[in-house]
Amino acid sequence: MESEMTEDRKITKKERTEQPDGEVKQVVDFALEAGRILLKNGGEIFRVEETITRICQHFGVEHVDIFTLSHGIFVSAENEKGEVYTRVKHIPLSGSHLGIVAEVNELSRQIAGGKVTILEAQERLVQIDRIPPSRARTQVLGAGMGAACFGYLMGASLAESVVTFFIGCLVYLWVILAKRCRLSKIIINIAGGIMITLCAIFATRLSTASMVFSLDGMIIGAIMPLIPGMAFTNAIRDIADSDFLSGTVRMMDALMVFVYIAVGVGIVLMTYNNMTGGFIL
Amino acid sequence: MTTQEILSNLFCSFMGTVGFAIMYNVPKKYYLGCGATGMAGWIMFLIVNAQNHITSSVASFFGAFVVVLMSRILSVKMKCPITIFLISGIFPLVPGVGIYNTVYYIVTNQLTQAALKGIESLKIAFAIVMGIVIVVSVPRDVFHKVYYWFVAGKD
Repeated sequence: MESEMTEDRKITKKERTEQPDGEVKQVVDFALEAGRILLKNGGEIFRVEETITRICQHFGVEHVDIFTLSHGIFVSAENEKGEVYTRVKHIPLSGSHLGIVAEVNELSRQIAGGKVTILEAQERLVQIDRIPPSRARTQVLGAGMGAACFGYLMGASLAESVVTFFIGCLVYLWVILAKRCRLSKIIINIAGGIMITLCAIFATRLSTASMVFSLDGMIIGAIMPLIPGMAFTNAIRDIADSDFLSGTVRMMDALMVFVYIAVGVGIVLMTYNNMTGGFIL
Repeated sequence: MTTQEILSNLFCSFMGTVGFAIMYNVPKKYYLGCGATGMAGWIMFLIVNAQNHITSSVASFFGAFVVVLMSRILSVKMKCPITIFLISGIFPLVPGVGIYNTVYYIVTNQLTQAALKGIESLKIAFAIVMGIVIVVSVPRDVFHKVYYWFVAGKD
């Protein structure tokens, strides 16, 4: 059995498509890979399941069962002879790349429309998986822009918004660097909160008689890039689709990040408050 | 509200949402849609919030409702996942002020105020959840039918 399996893998792709057994494996592997890419980059549970079902049924694998969690996919398919093929894939909770989600969605649409063969689709999927994130510089500037604009909406003055832009950039730079070093979320967010508050306190020291900087607008704006909007929104959507287990996991993820940020900001505010006796805050 | 305030609110909610869209690696062709979604949600929030006897959580509900509705319409129109517009569009409504104030009152030992602000931000978060759930729960077929009936005049 084992040697047959390895033999089967050595067969070229063209020959494999002619064999019913190989086909089930090929289709399920491909569908699972599409699901993995979706889930890893921030797709919802129902989208993952729908994509896998759509791909399998279009390529002729009728009997397929899928069980998707927020960090794992289980697929089991059966051919006419009653032979079962099962794959389990673990997908750690990780980054977010909505561009890739959009591309996989487009590919799955084209497959359902019958415009691509499985070999073309496999090549496209490999290319999609390799789409790099935007350049770090662009992302940092985006974070700064978001922080400054939302700070202004939440009541910061124009000068405070300009400071918030720089704090937002700095914090997101830290997030990107820390993610490259694979630091845990706890450290990233607590240190992020500390960094924001320190910078904001430093900025209040720069205030002159004509231009007074207040802390709250700057801090509120600058914590925006840290807020886990994606985990929160996906959690709600999963719960709305009755995927309570995955929804709870993602909601917990989002809530913990909120807590870490609050702890980071709180530590510095408390120390500063004690040092100055509460006069300046 | 003066004209200048209205313009700056429109501009900031648009640009802020686009900033977050960049952060989440949204493809360039969707930036306009993302910005418009965030702007629409924030304007709705401001309009409702300006009425008397209406709390900010109710206003957040209406804001979230508009954001999700608009994301759904755009996702049907541009044939892409709703997530793209929804995630960046919801950001202006996130109760950042509430969270900050809660932490601030806790560390300055004004616990009554902290509880007030904390519960208020929880209410806002829950209102956003309700806004999202209501629109998302409409089945796809029904939504498409209504959409085409309104937009294209056919079913």
